[in-house]
Amino acid sequence: MKRAVRALTAHRPRALSSLLVALGLAAGGFAAWAGQDWYAAAHDGTAAYAEQRDRALAAGEQAVLNLNTLDHRDVDQGLDLWESSTTGELHEQLSTGRDEFAEQVREAKTVTTARVLSGAVTELDDRAGRARVLVALRVTVRASDGARTDKDSRMLGELTRTGGRWKLSALGQAPVGGAPTG
Amino acid sequence: MSTTRHHINRQRRRRARDTRPAAVSPESTGRRTRAGDDAVRSPSGSPDGDRTADRKPAVPRTSREPAGAPGARPRRRRPVVLLVLCALTVLLGGFAGWAHAKAEALRDEPARRNTALTDLARTSEIKGRTAEAVDRLFSYDHTDPGALDKAARDLLTGKAVDQHRALLADVRERADAQKAVITTVVTESAVERIDGARARVLVYADQSSVATAGGEAAGGKAAEQDTGVYAGALLAVDVVHREGRWLVSGIDTFGR
Repeated sequence: MKRAVRALTAHRPRALSSLLVALGLAAGGFAAWAGQDWYAAAHDGTAAYAEQRDRALAAGEQAVLNLNTLDHRDVDQGLDLWESSTTGELHEQLSTGRDEFAEQVREAKTVTTARVLSGAVTELDDRAGRARVLVALRVTVRASDGARTDKDSRMLGELTRTGGRWKLSALGQAPVGGAPTG
Repeated sequence: MSTTRHHINRQRRRRARDTRPAAVSPESTGRRTRAGDDAVRSPSGSPDGDRTADRKPAVPRTSREPAGAPGARPRRRRPVVLLVLCALTVLLGGFAGWAHAKAEALRDEPARRNTALTDLARTSEIKGRTAEAVDRLFSYDHTDPGALDKAARDLLTGKAVDQHRALLADVRERADAQKAVITTVVTESAVERIDGARARVLVYADQSSVATAGGEAAGGKAAEQDTGVYAGALLAVDVVHREGRWLVSGIDTFGR
């Protein structure tokens, strides 16, 4: 009898502490697992790639939109935006033909605005910093006499990452009529 | 009987404590000795006498009773240890929950949920299937009107059925009148978004229409139509994965 009582009193703190130790170990194990899970999620290569994809698309859509927006009353600012949205060959082309083009727009007195209908990335080379995008636009041209024309544009764009930013390095309409696309 | 033994034990313990001050807790010693008693009690019938010899072998007690058994002072420290243990458990548990929530939140970001391009195999599969579907769904041969119906039955689901019917009704009528063959070929496509079993694909397609008997229907334009008239089409297609196949569940022509 006495023995049993003693055993009980001796057991209780022990049982309590071993329960606590077990709980502590379980919590520690869970913490370790959750910690490394979190780390893995934060350093997931796929996630970084997905982020680049979305950034490339956002930059591509914005750049294509910029290049289809121009107001004859504010040509210089518009063309500055064109140049800041582009890089490489496309940038060269735009800046060489700039003066001539600005003159044409001022004479035509047109206001061009655009809206992105949809866009998607077809290719993305994260390391090389290159991407291809499809951007569908609805371009509205308002002539000097107030006439409005709407036209859908199927654009193919090529993006290059420079200094951490994605910029358009090539842009063209998707060809129609069996011509090779690329 | 036990009283005597306990008394003896207690005495021995006291002796032991004198020599090694912080050795063993009374409880554990007591228990162990009792256990030792039972184990050691030999047929010889002199438990107490032999026990000392038996119970104190070459191995020193300190090493047999390692740090696990706290001494008299640690006994008072026990609540502190337990409290620390509790706090540690709560802290670790808290961290675990928090880290888990963080990881889940990261995985749930829209950018990650969209597996377009990150899952290359699936992306190209969807591109391929969608292109095939669009080719079939928007091509029409007046000599084989059943092919289009079959394509519609095979490839469409949900609201796309009605959308497709509305889009093609006009085309069918004209093609039948002109005995035309309309061929649609996807030239460019890109997957905008893949979210599990659903995806959205942006499609550029060429549509050519060749009238084989344009004579009465189109008059002077017949010659031109014979060579084929091309038009560029733009659409976004929603597809859904069902029973191992990708079906078109929505057709968006951007209001055209």
